[in-house]
Amino acid sequence: MSSEWRAFLLGIIGVPAMLAGLLVAVYGAETEIILTKIWLRTPLLLSGSADFSSYSGGFAANIIISLWAMAIALAVGVVLGIGLIARGALVRVPSEILMNVLRNSPWLVVLYAMLYLLPFEVTVFGVTVFLSPMVKSIVGLALPVTANIAEVFRGGVEAIASGQWESARSLGYRRLQILRHIVVPQALPLMTPNLMTIYAMLFIGTSLVVVTGTSDVLSVARTVIGSDGDHIATAVYIIVLLLFFLFSFPIAILTRWLERRVRAR
Amino acid sequence: MSLDYSWLSDGLYQTWLLRGLGTTVLMSLLGIALMLVIGVAGALCLHFRLPVLETLITVLVEFFRNTPPLVQLFFLYFMLSEVGLKLTDPTSGRSVPLFSGFTCVVLSLGLYNGAIAVEIIRSGLLAVPSQTVEGARSLGYTRFQAFRYVELPIGFRLSMPAMTNNVVSLIKTSSQAALVAVPDIMYGATQISLETFRNLEVMLLIWILYVALASLAVVVLRRLGEALRIPGYGVQAS
Repeated sequence: MSSEWRAFLLGIIGVPAMLAGLLVAVYGAETEIILTKIWLRTPLLLSGSADFSSYSGGFAANIIISLWAMAIALAVGVVLGIGLIARGALVRVPSEILMNVLRNSPWLVVLYAMLYLLPFEVTVFGVTVFLSPMVKSIVGLALPVTANIAEVFRGGVEAIASGQWESARSLGYRRLQILRHIVVPQALPLMTPNLMTIYAMLFIGTSLVVVTGTSDVLSVARTVIGSDGDHIATAVYIIVLLLFFLFSFPIAILTRWLERRVRAR
Repeated sequence: MSLDYSWLSDGLYQTWLLRGLGTTVLMSLLGIALMLVIGVAGALCLHFRLPVLETLITVLVEFFRNTPPLVQLFFLYFMLSEVGLKLTDPTSGRSVPLFSGFTCVVLSLGLYNGAIAVEIIRSGLLAVPSQTVEGARSLGYTRFQAFRYVELPIGFRLSMPAMTNNVVSLIKTSSQAALVAVPDIMYGATQISLETFRNLEVMLLIWILYVALASLAVVVLRRLGEALRIPGYGVQAS
């Protein structure tokens, strides 16, 4: 893991050092006062509550949203991916169109559209479910990611030698059975690094949910800036950048390591 | 559910949308130009293993790739005015930021996607066969000349498919410019939906416009990639 270790150490030391340097460069002698102010607001930025009493807002909300959106996108993405490799054009062509539209649409627009497209509440079997902005943003983020996952799924399946299909066929397996028992188990290691990249992308994308009114880290940051004054804005955004970096960077390094291992085999 | 698009016949809204589309396209083009400059310059530093610059660029690339472009944009927007890059407007006496939202968006798009472009171009350069480079060197090219005339042209062409994705991502990311009040197409859309309350219809229209814009970019870049392709190189060669 030598080259990844080097990159990891470089990034995990270099980036915080760079951000600290920026902070000092912007605030100069005031840095200490600003840092104490920020320190008081850190629990709010992390958990959405001033004393860690709940974890429904702030950075924790970003993590929750990303995990739910990834779970939904994985489930739907695999179905769409199966559609992409279907033999019948009746299934394949609509899947391809849907995939391309979703892949080429800006996340922000999809989020906005979901905000208005999804109803305020839905009634399923007599149970009324209230669709909070958080649920809407989860759906809005999951949609474009679905397309990426479907693409990765197709790529992974196509990377498996066609001889595997033919021999399974001669053993009497049907298409979906081949996919489930023979091709996907082999393709999964190939797909894992790409899926992790998609998750990292999705996590970075959760910053956009600020437009839906969810109390994610960015809207908390804006509230903090609103109450403590514009002067503090740079420092708050530096902290938010650092939080995102500390979460995503290890994933990126792990992805690179896995990728190299997959390629080496 | 019925969709009402009668507001689209209003001349004012049409102007907003068209002007917004123009801003979005201009912003994307400037961002792409900056992205390419950053990508080539960064890849050059990494490729030649320039002592201090190599470390610095690795750190910067990791930073820009692993943080949200939206936060980067807000950060730039607030930091540049905080460090005193302000002008005092002579007519109103208020201080206005020297860098407008538009400049900040172009900068942030160029930096975020440029960081990704550095990696893309670098992996393209790595894919250039070493024999080709050795051949150029034995013909008397200096290291830089070999880079300029042999490695970069071939490596850049090899990285075209990944670069297409990056350009599409840049166009999509440009929609967040509306959040720092740049009058792009997204901004026009939010203005219209505020006035007409036709939120869903406006967003669907914008969605279609963005998909069309991104698909157009894909088509243009594919054509460009085919036109530039060197026979015998790359995966599409069949």
